[in-house]
Amino acid sequence: MLKKLLKYDLKYMIKSMIIFYVLAVFFAVLTRIFFSLKQTVMIDIIGQVCVGTMFSMIASTLINTLMRSWVRFKDSIFGDESYLTHTLPVSKNNIYQSRFLITFFYLLIGLGVVLLSLFIVYYTPERWAMLKLLLTGISGTLNISTLALVLTFIIIIFLELLYSIQAGFLGLILGHKKNNNKIAYSVLFGFITYILSQVLVVISLLLLGIFNKDIMLLFTTNTINNIDALKTIVAFAIAIYIGINIAINYIAVKSLNKGVNIE
Amino acid sequence: MELLELKHVYKNYDSTKVLKDINLKVSKGKIIGLLGKNGSGKTTLIKLINDLLTPTKGEILVNGKKVGIESKEVISYLPERTYMNKQMKVSEVINYFEDFYENFDSKKAKKLLKDLGLDINQKLAKMSKGMQEKVQLVLVMSRRADLYILDEPLGGVDPATRDYILDTILNNFNENASVIISTHLISDIERILDEVIFINDGKIVLQSDTDELRNKEKLSIDEIFRRMFKC
Repeated sequence: MLKKLLKYDLKYMIKSMIIFYVLAVFFAVLTRIFFSLKQTVMIDIIGQVCVGTMFSMIASTLINTLMRSWVRFKDSIFGDESYLTHTLPVSKNNIYQSRFLITFFYLLIGLGVVLLSLFIVYYTPERWAMLKLLLTGISGTLNISTLALVLTFIIIIFLELLYSIQAGFLGLILGHKKNNNKIAYSVLFGFITYILSQVLVVISLLLLGIFNKDIMLLFTTNTINNIDALKTIVAFAIAIYIGINIAINYIAVKSLNKGVNIE
Repeated sequence: MELLELKHVYKNYDSTKVLKDINLKVSKGKIIGLLGKNGSGKTTLIKLINDLLTPTKGEILVNGKKVGIESKEVISYLPERTYMNKQMKVSEVINYFEDFYENFDSKKAKKLLKDLGLDINQKLAKMSKGMQEKVQLVLVMSRRADLYILDEPLGGVDPATRDYILDTILNNFNENASVIISTHLISDIERILDEVIFINDGKIVLQSDTDELRNKEKLSIDEIFRRMFKC
């Protein structure tokens, strides 16, 4: 049943997201074309407009993934469509995981579109060499490979976005347990979940600092004594983020399994 | 074993008690009218049976099991509102039902839609509310379910189509299945009812065989209802 839910959720989201993907890549190509032409005042103006539009489109890609995931979740689980969703012979766990996995997928696609658009606009062999040099410098300082550095950066952004979306999902579930002001409570509970989780990450790092002097020095001084401490913090933060994502997922499913109250 | 059984079911919204100590048994092969005034608790009761609401207290059993995946496989529910994704075409909704409900008969659905003059290639968003309600009724009645729960199936439909809908209901459920119909339009459905349940102020005030009640009171169900719930 999860496969069937995924199929329909995938179709639903692609209809609204494809336009942002196409526009982001289209304006990236257009910008590239205008940047490659002989520069005149008008071409420069048009090029700047294109680059501005491209940036707004890539921002829209990520913002829309977030917003549409929340709206889809609300509509299908607590709105009119929920009359169909909750009467399907499907477990609530599958319903939740379908929404979660689709969001996960579209976040990956969204990040891919962002990187592709930036690549189309800014790629030149010289810039590529410069970027590699910059990344090699940072990765050399951190004593890790360039690939690991880039991957770490992408993973952190991805986990942060995923966790924001799940905080929204949990907020919607808890907010809709109330009999009045459901949306206001949903926003409030989503925000509280987000803030609490951030506080938990900081507390966990502080606790780690108790056992690792170099990490504690990062909290108490403005110098980095040991570069390995920074690496440990990043690795630990990723682990905590994964843990929080799993925990929010578990709590959300548990809450959903306790039953819904559809208006 | 009863098809549907509610044991001491309560539903509260904060301090408001919407349903109070509901006890109900529905056996197989019956068409039951769930009748009551506006705000009497009919829709709340139906939503509880369909897992759209969580009871404050009590137990709801379908074929002896708690409401869940198995009960959803055998209950075909028509809510009082349009609930489908309006961006879908009718044919896509048919595929959707076919994917999720093993007991869905797509050939029957297509035939019924054709009889009602509805185009399966039309988007729901392009249809009127009444047309969408007809599509939903067809989808619900095209399932080989054990229990059909229809909440106001005649509400948004013109009088000319009402008889067709009632005939559709009568002709499209098997002998072992039961139908619960909630409506205000008692005179329209009276002829097809085997049993009636009168609900008032969150309580079941009467459950009776239709013929027995008519013979006892020497009145039609519509008249009994009007007399009982006179404002």
